[in-house]
Amino acid sequence: MQLKAQTKWGWMIAAYLFLAGLGAGAYVTGVIADFAGAEWASVSKIGVALGFPCVLLGTAFLIADLGTPANFWRAYRKPGTSWVARGTIIISVFMVVGFIHIGLWLWPFGVLEDAAGARQFIGVVGAIFAFGTMMYTGILLGANRPIAFWSTALVPVLFLVSALSTGIMAVMLIATIDGAAHSGPISTLVRIDVVLLVLEIVVVAMYLQATHRVPESRAAARLVLAGSVAPLFWLGVALLGLAVPLALELLGYYVLDGSSATTVIASISGIIGGLCLRQVVLSGGIQAPLRAGRFEFAIPNT
Amino acid sequence: MPRYGFVIDLKRCYGCYSCQVSCKAANFTPRGIDWAQCVPAETGSFPTALRQMLPLVCQQCKEPACKEVCPTGATTQDENGIVLVDKNLCMGCKACIMACPYGARQTVGDWQTYFPDAEGELDPYEAYAKKQWEKKNGYGMATKCDYCKDRVAEGRKPACVESCPAKARTFGDLEDPESEVSMLIRREYGFQLNPEFGTDPACFYLPPR
Repeated sequence: MQLKAQTKWGWMIAAYLFLAGLGAGAYVTGVIADFAGAEWASVSKIGVALGFPCVLLGTAFLIADLGTPANFWRAYRKPGTSWVARGTIIISVFMVVGFIHIGLWLWPFGVLEDAAGARQFIGVVGAIFAFGTMMYTGILLGANRPIAFWSTALVPVLFLVSALSTGIMAVMLIATIDGAAHSGPISTLVRIDVVLLVLEIVVVAMYLQATHRVPESRAAARLVLAGSVAPLFWLGVALLGLAVPLALELLGYYVLDGSSATTVIASISGIIGGLCLRQVVLSGGIQAPLRAGRFEFAIPNT
Repeated sequence: MPRYGFVIDLKRCYGCYSCQVSCKAANFTPRGIDWAQCVPAETGSFPTALRQMLPLVCQQCKEPACKEVCPTGATTQDENGIVLVDKNLCMGCKACIMACPYGARQTVGDWQTYFPDAEGELDPYEAYAKKQWEKKNGYGMATKCDYCKDRVAEGRKPACVESCPAKARTFGDLEDPESEVSMLIRREYGFQLNPEFGTDPACFYLPPR
């Protein structure tokens, strides 16, 4: 019996999961940096500035993927009844707070520049919903009971770690291109990102290890590790997303003693890897077969 | 209130696809939508290989996974236990398609003609079908089997039950212990598909050989 993966949630949903994670991760980075002192000011501004636009762009992908995009507002009709509805509220609140944060601090008004307390308060509120956004993208997939590859507690963790890692890399990338020297804040961010990448490798390994329980998730693991999704996993996630950034960040930090070039390449590579990770998880969505007696039937048309 | 249900006898089904085609004729579904489906499977190896068909309809679960994930309230259950989609409330997020363990929900972006080589306007019969489809269902939205609710209200049987030449399908009220479906389930060890998902389907199967 050949179990086939779902095709209904494609690259647009992957782009949404990725951008929502990246934006929320960058925002959290910016908010935490705001507490770290004056030399972190530019990092903090970049993080906060990335949050709202990235999540907005991701939401645009999500709405474009709807069957009837013009009716997206219907997701607000029954808040709290399902994970799509709850996520809609979480992301909407995050976008409103992120928008206010940008509007009052960076552009067009600068009233929060001198009011650190108010700025940090808005930041903490936004960061709570940013964490919600990062986790929710994983919980959304986990709500599908027949798809064992998604319905595990590790998907939200995996997406959270990946979101924080890609968020930090996006901040490092913009800051380095902006001309920040590879010392102080950037070098700290590189060290944090190394920890996150090691953590992500562990979570990816545990996630794939945990697929042994049922036939459909074993089929998904085979598809991802040795089947048609394998090139995307090994090249996109394992090489670009994990190995290259980790190697370059360690090289830049310990050997080259702070190199802008390695930070830029590591960040771009890691960000592409984050997108590939979402696509790999979506491509592995195989539904449980239907069982009757000794027979197992693969569900068509999913 | 009745709870409508199916009993499908897997011993009797020989996979003629009559249910799939008569459903299309009765509900005017476009290409790519099959509310009733027949799925084949094999088991064993030569010389003891077996082949079995599994006819699928919406299982009209008591605890529908699709209703649980529906963010807009478009999915409702009527008094007969039939799960319905309101096309004026659905936005097409496809969450229900992912959550349904039985592949009962499908969506189509636009009317797909059955005669792609024919030029010009739709065949008049197909144009009629398109009109009938659009009365009840939307494009880009989730659609599903409703156990031929309108035919049942008229006192007829669902189209797939009427057309089954092997008489593998029985339709009736699960709440009534004297009904044919209830008796079949009791006498012939009726079972539900994949009970581990906790949906309590109203569609029962009688074991294959």
